[in-house]
Amino acid sequence: MNSNLHNPKASGSVSVAVSGSISSSAEETLRLIACLPAPAGLEDRVHAALRSTRRSGRVLAWPKPLNQLNDWMRTAAAAAIVFVVAGGGWGVYTHVQKGQQGQPIKVIAMPHGLQPGGFSGAGAMRTPQTLPGPTVILPIEREPAPPKGEKKPAARPAPAKAGRAQTASAAIPTAQPDSSQ
Amino acid sequence: MEIPKSAVNDESRRRAEDAALAALVDRYAGALYRVAFSVLRNAADAEDAVQEAFLRVLRHRHSLGEIRDHRVWLIRIVWNIVLDRKRRAKTRPETDDVDELARVLPSAGLSALQLSAAAEHHSHVLACVDRLPPKERQVLVLSAFDELTSVEISSILGITESSVRSRLFRARNLMAGLLDHERSLR
Repeated sequence: MNSNLHNPKASGSVSVAVSGSISSSAEETLRLIACLPAPAGLEDRVHAALRSTRRSGRVLAWPKPLNQLNDWMRTAAAAAIVFVVAGGGWGVYTHVQKGQQGQPIKVIAMPHGLQPGGFSGAGAMRTPQTLPGPTVILPIEREPAPPKGEKKPAARPAPAKAGRAQTASAAIPTAQPDSSQ
Repeated sequence: MEIPKSAVNDESRRRAEDAALAALVDRYAGALYRVAFSVLRNAADAEDAVQEAFLRVLRHRHSLGEIRDHRVWLIRIVWNIVLDRKRRAKTRPETDDVDELARVLPSAGLSALQLSAAAEHHSHVLACVDRLPPKERQVLVLSAFDELTSVEISSILGITESSVRSRLFRARNLMAGLLDHERSLR
């Protein structure tokens, strides 16, 4: 259905259903803008822009005499590039193959006493620390043990720190030597 | 705009393409400008968009013969350009629509006061159009072009014709609501 949306008959019930005066005034504004004339000389300016782009767009161009043989030249150039790239690659490949065939394979000898896959000390030796100097360890003198019969004097109560400590010391009687014995 | 098959020579083929492109410019530059202006609402930006559209055509001028409907094809190109520009222009400060509209709208038979009032009214309506959801707004703007049918609008937007109709229905309802709300606030 190739219809115009502003023609009520053509666009069916759509425009008829919602053709309020409010929305139609809005569409009137849009239609007014849609009908605005293009500025004078627009086509000329577009033509000029296209011409300038055409001129500046071609940076590299075939020379005029070669332009007649454009397709042949393009094909030949493409073939030459492919030939050079493929030939270069083949040359490098064959050169590497020959070099590998002529030389014997070098095997690096592993040091003795080394398990395969382990690390070696690389001949390093341990050097003791000499700068701090040797330290003399003195024997610890022990005090003679007290005789078994002698009883220890009763522990003196600790100096009272606060009132609570004093009350505690008052509540718990200190151990006194038994006078009956 | 068919390029003749006899144009086998490169030079003559190029000339034929140039002639076809020049004919497209002469024929459709004005329509493209109006489409661009309806979205951008700025004369210089719209003209830039038209030039950019034809530069894109220049890049694809070899395939001009394959295009069925050049008008719809060109409008679709310029439509994408202006939407892209509009998206990028959101970061820039908006141009004063009232002044621009007063400058471009037809002023025959109107006093300066009437012209100013009309420009303000149109600017107010366009502000409401801008508040519509993008899909509905696009259909509403394109439907204002008398020369575009619903099939052509669907082709430009890449949707079905029934979608065009339903979106237009929604757009008109939303516009009525927006304008009614604005009037009640005044």
